[in-house]
Amino acid sequence: MAGRTEFLEAIRHRTRRGQYKPTKSPDSVWTPRTGTSEPEEIEDPPSRFLEELEALGGHGKRAKNMNEARDYVFDVVREREAKLIVRWDVEYLEKLGIDKPLQREGVEVVFWRESPDLREIAGHADVGISTAAWAVAETGSLLLESGPGMGRSVTLLPPSYIAILPADRVLRTVPEAISKYAASNLPANVCFHTGPSRSGDIEMSLVVGMHGPGDVHVVLIG
Amino acid sequence: MTTSKPARRRDTTDKRAEGIESKVEGFNARAKEAVKDQELHDSISLFTNKTLTGRNANFWALPNAPELREKAYRTKQETMANLDSYLAQMADAVEERGGNVFFASDGEDVVKYIGDLARCKGAKIITKSKSMATEEIELNHRLEEDYADLDLEIVETDLGEWIAQLAGDTPSHIVGPILHMNKRRVTEVLSGVAGEELPPDVAALGQFARERLREKFINADIGITGANFGVAETGTIATVTNEGNARLVTSVPPVHVVVMGIEKIIPKFEDLSTFVQLLGRSGTGQKITVYTNFITGPRGEGELDGAEEFHLILMDNGRSKLLGTEYEEALYCIRCGSCLNVCPVYRQTGGHAYGSTYSGPIGAVITPLLKGDKEAKDLPYASSLCGACSETCPVGIPLHDLLLKLRNRQVEEGMSTRAESLMFKGFERTMRTPAAYRAGAKVGKIAQKPVVKDGSIKRVPGTGAWTNFRGLAPLAEKSFREMWKEGI
Amino acid sequence: MRVALFIPCYVDLINPEVGVSVVRVLRKLGVEVTYPRGQTCCGQPAFNSGYFDEARGVARHFLDVFEKEEWDYIVCPSGSCTTMVSHYYPFIFEELPDERERAETLGHRVREFSDFLVNVLGVKEVGASHSGHAVFHTGCHQRRELGVLNEPRELLRNVAGLELREWENEELCCGFGGTFSVKMPDVSVAMADEKIAALEKSGADILISCDSSCLMHLGGRLKKTGHDTRILHLAQVLDSGKAG
Repeated sequence: MAGRTEFLEAIRHRTRRGQYKPTKSPDSVWTPRTGTSEPEEIEDPPSRFLEELEALGGHGKRAKNMNEARDYVFDVVREREAKLIVRWDVEYLEKLGIDKPLQREGVEVVFWRESPDLREIAGHADVGISTAAWAVAETGSLLLESGPGMGRSVTLLPPSYIAILPADRVLRTVPEAISKYAASNLPANVCFHTGPSRSGDIEMSLVVGMHGPGDVHVVLIG
Repeated sequence: MTTSKPARRRDTTDKRAEGIESKVEGFNARAKEAVKDQELHDSISLFTNKTLTGRNANFWALPNAPELREKAYRTKQETMANLDSYLAQMADAVEERGGNVFFASDGEDVVKYIGDLARCKGAKIITKSKSMATEEIELNHRLEEDYADLDLEIVETDLGEWIAQLAGDTPSHIVGPILHMNKRRVTEVLSGVAGEELPPDVAALGQFARERLREKFINADIGITGANFGVAETGTIATVTNEGNARLVTSVPPVHVVVMGIEKIIPKFEDLSTFVQLLGRSGTGQKITVYTNFITGPRGEGELDGAEEFHLILMDNGRSKLLGTEYEEALYCIRCGSCLNVCPVYRQTGGHAYGSTYSGPIGAVITPLLKGDKEAKDLPYASSLCGACSETCPVGIPLHDLLLKLRNRQVEEGMSTRAESLMFKGFERTMRTPAAYRAGAKVGKIAQKPVVKDGSIKRVPGTGAWTNFRGLAPLAEKSFREMWKEGI
Repeated sequence: MRVALFIPCYVDLINPEVGVSVVRVLRKLGVEVTYPRGQTCCGQPAFNSGYFDEARGVARHFLDVFEKEEWDYIVCPSGSCTTMVSHYYPFIFEELPDERERAETLGHRVREFSDFLVNVLGVKEVGASHSGHAVFHTGCHQRRELGVLNEPRELLRNVAGLELREWENEELCCGFGGTFSVKMPDVSVAMADEKIAALEKSGADILISCDSSCLMHLGGRLKKTGHDTRILHLAQVLDSGKAG
């Protein structure tokens, strides 16, 4: 067992600063298929995002305003006959104004904030709701950051999940999304979340909702 | 709560090919049985066809695929040339975020670190997401053996890995671990665990797995993952799954341990964009997997989930031996599994025939490199050198040329049989001397006369490997040279 | 244009009719061909089995033979042998700069037969006729190292009476791989069987390739399994039928 210094020294000793000759197969081995495509310009990121999401089995909704978004949430909750919702404890979702109406209908709404049985409650929730920092049009991905009030479990444990964000947060490509982060502003967790959880391990047949939510909704407002 | 079966030490004594003693030799014998398995072949064909269709569509949909590949190659090359600095940088970055870093020379170091940590935490349940590095060092089995007094329950959470674990089996493909098991077998295994007959229905089986594993996720004391990539600049590790299990393993337990091969490092956070684009599209044919997750240290200020303690284990286990050698490119691998999908040999034999953690072309290359030629004699020869692997590799590893070099290495080390050595020396001498070549042809024509029938060479001792299966054409009456001399 | 013929050892000894067809097709197209005496083999069998020293010995002989005169091109009716000279001679002489330079210089002039016809002579039609339904198998070296994929097909499409069909899993290796075919015979044959299943599905009755080694392997298996598929090298097909 080597300490840090010996370990690194042994490696430095071997690298010889890349003095060896690489084998690298000639480029002719890399036979490109015909039809390498042109760089496509994504003209309407929100629409493209919703397209990609739905192709993966997720549900997309373009809402004109907060009211429409709120109604969509109610519809989902009703359809799923949900009794317990857990949501991120953030201002954007508070403005959404779903808490009181849902409580009036007998649905319990829990915020992700310090409480003794928080984890257990989240584990029993039927629907999880969060916002997203960004979204990516070319793949239909959400960018979920961790932070105070922004629990990872909310987006993971319940079988149904709704993300709500402004349509102008939809970026075009994955590289664009990654460039939003640098060492200085990197949260403990950044997750590219793309569609319903799934597994093809059993005879290549798809199981939807393997460990994470299988019922995924994204509402773009604006 | 039933304890899942202990993870079984890799048993390369394949039940279908008794009598094979050494670990990786005997590819031939295992392959011989594997090619007869029509079900296995159908599974592999189904899987590879589906994945390759996706790959070809999505990979080539990237407008700059060749440039990305070149960039990935150069980035890896630069990283390996300065690996010690990048490792130091990553370690510093992790520590700055409040994480712990441990440098492990080999598997034993890793086992000891994790075992001691488990003891210290009084851990009972450990959840794991898929990690080839931990398979390589047989982590589960060794923890259970060496720390038996802790009575640890170590649960694989990737659906395929979990089923393999329950069946006492090992994964046979980097991306699809139970490619070799059909639905009937899976139902059997899960019914055994459920204690009742489960319906042979994928949705029902999946639901059972979800419920059973959810229990483990919630109650885990330690979560162990590998890392698809590690970023030196920020200390970030990336996990890439479709199921969400890695995210659960890293969000719920209070302690998160990462076992990462030192070659997985990339210099900057922005480099993730290159590799994330290549990994999904090559490996599973998706544009991106469902959960591509970046974790930087323990949970942030004010967060209520995510690990409180973060441990990064940087593991060597033979990798540094390759640095600065002509085999260094084997370290560029991002474990996408694409080479397995295109390999015509893998297609016929499946992963277990290789008798190693890593199968397919990449397995045939790195097993002898990490374990030594003697341990993996057969593997460099388990290939027709078609080059499909090098063609498909998203990072540009010249796999088939490395296999050739490994064959040469064995010859130089004197590992060939005397008969073969003599044969090729004879070959060289004959081919360097036109007169000898011509004389040899004349002799051959005479010698073959008694055994040629209906235009084919019939059974002759020594040619069985060919003639048992294929017709063998005889030497022609007149060679081309002779015809040319007479005038064409 | 002065062209030298490089005839692979197994074409010389087992399928000389392929070499004859090459000569006739080239002459028909007005190319003067020579057959340098003393040529034997490219050395690939030793190379593929890891015997680089022995391969170097054979390669040196090859260089001596083919450097005797300044031919414009050296034409070879085999994708794998062409690759051995043009791609792998520099590989095995990597540490020996003089020989590597000789290999690189010569390597540029070695061309596979169909590549030569289409890309050097600019010819896609040679006035051949041959009836039947055929599939074409591209050898792995020809596909990957040489990148000569469409040329044989273009030539075949212009053969009167010949219907060129597509077949499944076209890119899969046939399973020959030199000594692989006898070192790992079960896998090698399983690979051949996969190709043969695709052949059957296509309904073709002729198998054509630019590599006699692949044909020897697939043809041998086809024969053993009771198929009466006709096995032909591209050169033989292009040499069929009356001129004009």
